[in-house]
Amino acid sequence: MNSSRTKLTWLLIAIVGALTVCPVVMLVLGSFSEGLTAFGHFTVDKYVAAYTDPGFYEVMVNTGIFVLASSLLSTLLAIFLAYLNTRTDIPFKFLFKIISIIPMMIPHLLFAVSWALLLNPSNGLINLGLKEAFGLDSAPLNIYSMWGMILVEGLLDLPIAYLIIAPAMASFDVALEESSRVCGAGTWRTLLRITLPVLRPAILAAFILGVVRSLASFAVPSVIGMPGRVHVLATYLYEMIATGFATDYGKAAAVGMSVLVASVTLIVVYRALTAESEKFVTISSRGFRPSVIELGTARMPLFGLVGLLSLVLIVLPVAVLMYTSLVPYSMVPSAKAFSMMSLKHWSDVLNDPISLLSLKNSLFLAVVGATLGVILSVFVAYVIVKVKTRAAGILESLSYLSFSFPGIVIGVGFMWFFVQTPLYATIWALLLGYIATYLPYGIRPMSSAFIQIHSHLEESSLVCGASPLTTMRRIIVPLLIPGIVSGWILMASMFVRELTLSVVLSRPGTEVLAVQILRFSEDGLWGKLSALGIVMILISTTLVVMATLVGNRFKAVQG
Amino acid sequence: MKKLLAALCVLCAAAQPQAQDKAQLDKARAEGKASFYANITAVEPIIKAFTADTGVTGEYTRISTSKFVATMITEFEAGKLMADVVQAPLPVLDLLKDKSVLASYRSPAAAGYPEWTRKDDKVQIFGIEYVALIYNKEKVKAADAPKRYEDLTLPKWKDKIVMPNPANHATTISWLVGLKENVFKTEAEWRTFLQGLAANKPMFVASFGPTPAPIESGEKLIAISMPKYIVTKAPAPLDWARVSQPLMGTPRAIAVASKAPHPAAARAFIDYWLSKKSMEMLAKDVGEYVLAPGIYPPIDGIKEAKVIAIRELSDAEIQKWGAEFKKIFDVK
Repeated sequence: MNSSRTKLTWLLIAIVGALTVCPVVMLVLGSFSEGLTAFGHFTVDKYVAAYTDPGFYEVMVNTGIFVLASSLLSTLLAIFLAYLNTRTDIPFKFLFKIISIIPMMIPHLLFAVSWALLLNPSNGLINLGLKEAFGLDSAPLNIYSMWGMILVEGLLDLPIAYLIIAPAMASFDVALEESSRVCGAGTWRTLLRITLPVLRPAILAAFILGVVRSLASFAVPSVIGMPGRVHVLATYLYEMIATGFATDYGKAAAVGMSVLVASVTLIVVYRALTAESEKFVTISSRGFRPSVIELGTARMPLFGLVGLLSLVLIVLPVAVLMYTSLVPYSMVPSAKAFSMMSLKHWSDVLNDPISLLSLKNSLFLAVVGATLGVILSVFVAYVIVKVKTRAAGILESLSYLSFSFPGIVIGVGFMWFFVQTPLYATIWALLLGYIATYLPYGIRPMSSAFIQIHSHLEESSLVCGASPLTTMRRIIVPLLIPGIVSGWILMASMFVRELTLSVVLSRPGTEVLAVQILRFSEDGLWGKLSALGIVMILISTTLVVMATLVGNRFKAVQG
Repeated sequence: MKKLLAALCVLCAAAQPQAQDKAQLDKARAEGKASFYANITAVEPIIKAFTADTGVTGEYTRISTSKFVATMITEFEAGKLMADVVQAPLPVLDLLKDKSVLASYRSPAAAGYPEWTRKDDKVQIFGIEYVALIYNKEKVKAADAPKRYEDLTLPKWKDKIVMPNPANHATTISWLVGLKENVFKTEAEWRTFLQGLAANKPMFVASFGPTPAPIESGEKLIAISMPKYIVTKAPAPLDWARVSQPLMGTPRAIAVASKAPHPAAARAFIDYWLSKKSMEMLAKDVGEYVLAPGIYPPIDGIKEAKVIAIRELSDAEIQKWGAEFKKIFDVK
């Protein structure tokens, strides 16, 4: 048993290492090389230049506030939504699940632009409405600020947090809560003293993933922070690589190393905080049944609250996108704007051969990439959670390597790596790059689910003569279905809108949706961009619905 | 008899280049395709026309300016440069030339272009990425639009301007320095202009691409932007301020890659690109300011404007001025 686990661990270290270490090694080489590529004479000048810039420390303070606050917001919202969706009798649950993961499907650039259209201080729609309603002289809200960045980034990271917390909450053993109530605790006390502490691994995982994602985020700092002159690490890096034509990615990589160190530290802290994972097991061989809590009179008010939240936070930006795709240019809604509406942008996009090819490629990468990614993630998560050796810790850190690097830089690391291989400029380079970078999207939900499955189940199966593989297939995987579905959805949605690697690795014939959207954005063609963005959302929604249905069917078959 | 011989000689002389052209084109067709690396808007119709007219498949790879040099040099040094033809702002091609990424080729199609567009036997300039003050003509009357760049410092434009970030956007940095060198009489006047512009608190965006949208929607009234958007974003209510001073921009240039996988196709592509037909498409459909004689974008008044190419700034200069503008414009 131990020997096969050790072999599996080292095999996975080899696979994940090959996927994630190579681009990072190229970036390390680049950060210590003179010139613009990874292979120059050794120098530490890039580190000296990057870390002695007086503006760097102010940027780091802003970055700290931005990432911590947005991750906190996304985690708290995710706990709230996941609890209502998985544990209570709130109505229209399926709809709520879809709504709570929609921001995941919207290209981040578009999401940020939608919010700028709603809340800019000059003619943002919400500001105009508030001015009209309360007779104000100036706009009460300004999205171009730190709080605006936190709000939008928090919403963008909400699906990741939700998809990690929801499966853990779904597998929660109600007996723990019942015991608490029997001992006289009320609903709130039970939630705070029992439910949330037991869910600590999932909550911490969601928070840490949020921190890592917002550290690497570029769309929100660029669209909302830059006009408000609030600079964080991503825009600082952008400034570094955009000033001049001979972009020095090595210097940007030197700054990226501190992000990498911060991310790896967070993972170590996470492992320490969840080290005694037995404490968090809720599915053991003694029987488990997730139960539904009756909300009683609070049912409809809570539904109304979540509905309002969804409307303001998600439906409105999507409606803005739909509107933008129909008007000929950027217009504030008016009689004139509605009279000028047409399907021209839609027709242009749907008749554009490159857009259609991008659609096909993105769909292929989403379905095949997410499936392969999830298969790899099941094994990696198993080792991370169930094999408590130092090698398992190494594997977990490796799985975060590419993911932790700022997106603006990691793509170049992959280019420096793939150009040395025959895969360069092929769709396979994109596929491998996607899986390597977004592996934590598959691993995290699966780890949260694994943590809650007691080893007694596995041991009982082995005692009864089943092989480790049969145990995995017959016992573990069926219990992991919520985690597998979450992981697949996270990966597939991410791959549909992936930009940072694609913009560097995509070539004629391997165009993908996000790159095509970026082209429209660079040319200021917001109508076409919105139309293609909605196509992207529809594809992701279809994939999410299909994955959920398949997951439900599996659960039904397993009985 | 003499006349007949002379006529024959003339015919033969005329036929020789045609024969050469045909041989060149046959070679290009045998190579099959020409791969074009650039970052330029809406040129697919030219690529399509090239394919249809020559029988050589044109293939466009669009690479963002910030990744252009890195991608080219990475592929070149790994022996995997897939580009046959490279098109970019002139400073980018100069950088690539220094790294031996470009080959020599003087296209006969550029014969009618101004002499200054042929810097050497490798790089051919064909256009200027011109910058102007673009305003919303439904919100601003033509009479109220700036008449000089200095008018942008008037208090009426406070919080009404959008422009690319002057601390890092290379073309904007070059344009601001271009004002110093081509428009203002003294550096003191230029600095007063910069301080006045900064005092009007312009909204900064990452590049020129996002500048028209806030003008179209009325979020802002005027932009330091590009007149080509008047063409590409029609029917948006955009117009350009007819300032009495020259319009300026970075030269756009084209060259053959030194290790082009399809060298004959590359030459055929450049000949086609510089032809009157392509330049007309570029001006008419994309609103670009091209240097082929007599061709102008369909923008009212542009034909009469004085458009000049600004000096190429080295990366060190761009970084130096970027840092200076960062202080002046209080970019944190």
